Amino acid sequence: MQRVLIRFATERPGAVFAVVLLLVCVLGALILRIQIDTDPENMLPNDQADRVFHDAVEARFTLHDAIVVGIVNDTDPDGIFNPRSLAALHHLSKSILELDGVVVPDLMSLAESDNISQAGPGTIRFEWMMKEAPVTVQQARDIRDKVDRLPLLRDTLVSGDGRAAAIYVPIASKDLSYPLSLQIRALTQQLDTTDAYHITGLPVAEDTFGHDMFVQMGISAPLAGLMIFLLMWYFFRSAGLVIAPMLVAMATVIISMGLLIGLGFTVHIMSSMIPIFLMPIAVVDSVHIMSEFADTWRPGQDTKTVIGDVVGHLFTPMLFTSLTSAVGFLSLLLTPIPPVQIFGVFVAFGILLAFLLTVILVPAYVVSMKPATLARLAAGRSTPHTETLLARSLRRGGRFAVNNGKSITAVAVVLVAVSIAGITRIQINDNPVRWFKANHPIRVADEVLNRHFAGTYDAFIVLTHHDDEALPRFRAAAETLLTGVDPSLAAPIREQLSTEPGAGGDYYGALIVMLDDALFDAREPATVEALTQLMTLSEETQSTARFFQRPDILRRIASLQVALGDSADVGKTNALPDIVKLVNRELRGGQARNYRIPDTSAAVAQTLLQYQSSHRPQDLWHMVTPDFSSTAIWVQLRSGDNQDMTRVVRALDAYLADEPMPANVQVRWAGKTFINVAWQDAMVRGMLNSLLGAFVAVFLMMTMLFRSWRLGLLAMVPLSITILGVYGIIGWIGKDYDMPIAVLSSLALGLSVDFAIHFIQRTRSLLDENGSFEIVAGILFEKPARAIARNAIVIAIGFTPLFFAPLVPYITVGAFMAAIMAVSALATLILLPALMAWAGPWLFPQLRVSAATGHGGESSQEEVAP
Amino acid sequence: MIRMLVSVALVAMIAFDARADVLTDPNEIVARANLAAYYAGADGSAEVRMLISDVQDRRQRRQFTVLRRDIADGGDQQFLVVFSQPSDVRGTVFLVDKHIDRDDDRWLYLPGLDLVKRISAGDKRTSFVGAHYFYEDVSGRRPTEDTHELIETTDTAYVLRHVPIDVGSVEFGSYVTWIDRETFLPMKIEYTNPAGRLYRRVEVLEVATFDGHPTVTVSRVSDLSSGGRTDMQFRYIQYDIGLPADVFAERSLRNPPREWLQRPTD
Repeated sequence: MQRVLIRFATERPGAVFAVVLLLVCVLGALILRIQIDTDPENMLPNDQADRVFHDAVEARFTLHDAIVVGIVNDTDPDGIFNPRSLAALHHLSKSILELDGVVVPDLMSLAESDNISQAGPGTIRFEWMMKEAPVTVQQARDIRDKVDRLPLLRDTLVSGDGRAAAIYVPIASKDLSYPLSLQIRALTQQLDTTDAYHITGLPVAEDTFGHDMFVQMGISAPLAGLMIFLLMWYFFRSAGLVIAPMLVAMATVIISMGLLIGLGFTVHIMSSMIPIFLMPIAVVDSVHIMSEFADTWRPGQDTKTVIGDVVGHLFTPMLFTSLTSAVGFLSLLLTPIPPVQIFGVFVAFGILLAFLLTVILVPAYVVSMKPATLARLAAGRSTPHTETLLARSLRRGGRFAVNNGKSITAVAVVLVAVSIAGITRIQINDNPVRWFKANHPIRVADEVLNRHFAGTYDAFIVLTHHDDEALPRFRAAAETLLTGVDPSLAAPIREQLSTEPGAGGDYYGALIVMLDDALFDAREPATVEALTQLMTLSEETQSTARFFQRPDILRRIASLQVALGDSADVGKTNALPDIVKLVNRELRGGQARNYRIPDTSAAVAQTLLQYQSSHRPQDLWHMVTPDFSSTAIWVQLRSGDNQDMTRVVRALDAYLADEPMPANVQVRWAGKTFINVAWQDAMVRGMLNSLLGAFVAVFLMMTMLFRSWRLGLLAMVPLSITILGVYGIIGWIGKDYDMPIAVLSSLALGLSVDFAIHFIQRTRSLLDENGSFEIVAGILFEKPARAIARNAIVIAIGFTPLFFAPLVPYITVGAFMAAIMAVSALATLILLPALMAWAGPWLFPQLRVSAATGHGGESSQEEVAP
Repeated sequence: MIRMLVSVALVAMIAFDARADVLTDPNEIVARANLAAYYAGADGSAEVRMLISDVQDRRQRRQFTVLRRDIADGGDQQFLVVFSQPSDVRGTVFLVDKHIDRDDDRWLYLPGLDLVKRISAGDKRTSFVGAHYFYEDVSGRRPTEDTHELIETTDTAYVLRHVPIDVGSVEFGSYVTWIDRETFLPMKIEYTNPAGRLYRRVEVLEVATFDGHPTVTVSRVSDLSSGGRTDMQFRYIQYDIGLPADVFAERSLRNPPREWLQRPTD
């Protein structure tokens, strides 16, 4: 297989170039069809239970994603309640209504709010809060006084301190939030105002993130390419040598991304990082082929034979390191988060593709080189890198490690213990808004608005009443009553009775209309009597089915709201009881003591009938379904951090443990902030599975490769130390464990095992030739150690362009990539020899027989480590 | 043959057209439409069912009886609206003294709270008990509140465009009505917001004649921005039943006049 490949590559370089070029062109063209996806909901599979419920709730209560516009006035003594500020707000609010994609009926602002108030004794008044912008200072203050009496608006549309007001702009589709936020921004710039305008909200954050992601891919990935090119040029001092690896890297990235996009996958935050992951991984194999070729080839030799030998010699180690890295990323399939799975699969694919391209493209490239270029390449390699700072440090470090085996092992054990302690301190937390840097306008807006208001993060507690027995019970009773009824009248009623109550919630209503008509036509007394009874029964059943119209239930919800409101994480809750209490108060004269739930279900119904006699009757259906079988408590949170949301979830659980809802009421969370918690949980559990799965797979592969479980175990040491160390650091420095941090484990595993493979493989083959570990160690810390160190540096520095990324997750990955490379290279180059120094005989059969004599000297072959 | 039939039909249509009075004064058309729509007979009663549907076709129903008494044709009127369905709002009553020269007087009785409230006139363009109809659609908008322009006269309808005089008092920028040339009933009304976007439509779906008065029996209002709509059905329509003035007294709020609320038995 390997020989066939290499021969094909060296005999038919033209064909190789043509095939690769064709693939690059065809799949590269597919990249143009890119679809960006920044919706955190997509972190969950679309059939995941919490997500399905969340979507159902959004439909049930007609909830839309909203852009939040915040207006802050810090100078006027009346805060936002001055004519100029309110006029600007009014104008902006009306202008936003004209933008395409805004859900007009559900826009929330002072200019679109209703007011219910007292207009003299015994008189109630319904009117717009601010139909026209106020002209005088007093009119503006009047609006403040009105808002003060409306708990639903306070801290939601206007801040408690009166300094800030908000406009909630519901949008028809999330894709519109970025263009809409730009349009709104443009509108604010035309306003005659000195107030500060902030635009935020999760959809804006998501969409802006998508936009910035493009920027990142357009800048960071090419920068990474350039960086790697320069670095390799420095190490190898030959452009000719470096071009081949760059071609491999570019082809790998373009084909992998083209395939991903061509297969119809969206590019999520994770997959947007694929190019930058693949680039450094893709170059290292070919660098080593080129470098070994340059060392070996001398003018006059047959190029094809030399490159064939070089690739043949490196084939197996490269295959194994590629396979282990691929397994590390493939293990992400065990994490039930689609974007992470796609990322894992395509990085694994890219790694294997890079391997394939390396073994065919590089030989094809070499045989196509002009003899003069080849000569220059070989000449450039005459200076060995044996006296650089790196070389000297490695040599010294190696000697130190071998001489202090046990102490170093002890230090490592201590470090592991410290790391584990750090891991226990890890805070699992994520918040898409924090994906932006602290000075990003969205972060600033988020901070300002959540300081002034009850919170721009939404979650919903959804209560749903099920009474599965009510309908059969009603049907049976109805059937009994219908037995004596005139058949011509009973038939259509029976038909209506047997229909399935649909989502319309009109089962009893339609039946009552029918009975009403039948009653009018009925003449026979028995029929009239039966129909009257059935009518009464239907009305009672309908009324009972309106579970969340019951005063006792509304009071329970109100208590729940109070309990939740006590939690520091909850800014405010808004729910049906708030409406009922408010309207009840105003109907009864406006006194604070009447801010309560009336005593009967009918009184609640009549209160709500008045609420609906407003300009915005549909607002009611954001809080309860028209059949009153399900209600939503809107919870406003000041922080979108998963941890804070989780605390609120726990607070509710604790409350319900003491004060349970009736048995037939289901209580469940929905809302974007909650969905983030749901996928975060799935991710943490999934990542552990991925890690364990990959760990076992890699261990088995190592045992197979070395044909020794002891060496297999040894090979696991550097990656274990790396993973523990990196997560230990995360725990100790208090960095939240978020999505990018989570995927680093697989990365660490896949990459750091490579170093161990090469180190152990090399040690073993050297031991075959030299019986003494001391001699072997001397050799190990020349070329093999330099190869490992260089690869670590190439990869670590290859990721540094991520530092310039506009978004925090990329920066995080860049920083930790460097940490992973540093720790795993150190663990390999210091801890492995230290362990070998005192546990050598246990590990290597060669050392158990202290007989063999050998010859020293440096290997002629540079070691490979991708 | 066919050509001959067509000619006959054309002649007949022209002849019909010639017979009908073609009005050209928009104010006169509006005045007659106002009378046809709101002032048929000296008084009247009807039972009304409303089916309120949202964009997801979730429904609510309301049923009430409305009694009306005209003080003067085209002038002041009185309304009593008594709810019968759903049962938990049964007995809720609205009483309205509609005035031409000043704000209406409105009272409300809520039996569940045993509460009589006066409703300040405030805004007449609020939802009527959660329906997509406005209070003003039910009681009638004063012709003097808009300027009227006849923009087209079709075979069947006068098409008028109305612009509010007090722009600040309403949510629309203008509206267009299609007024039936024969019955003078407004068959369709389309509301456009100040930015020129059509957002609301009221249309008559069925008309029948009672006691010589062409009367709307089924109508629909569609909220084009939310996708919701309300269908309103009028039944048991009667005119000139001799409703006494005391039916429209505040006392009727707590004690609705049963004898006038019953359905006619043929």
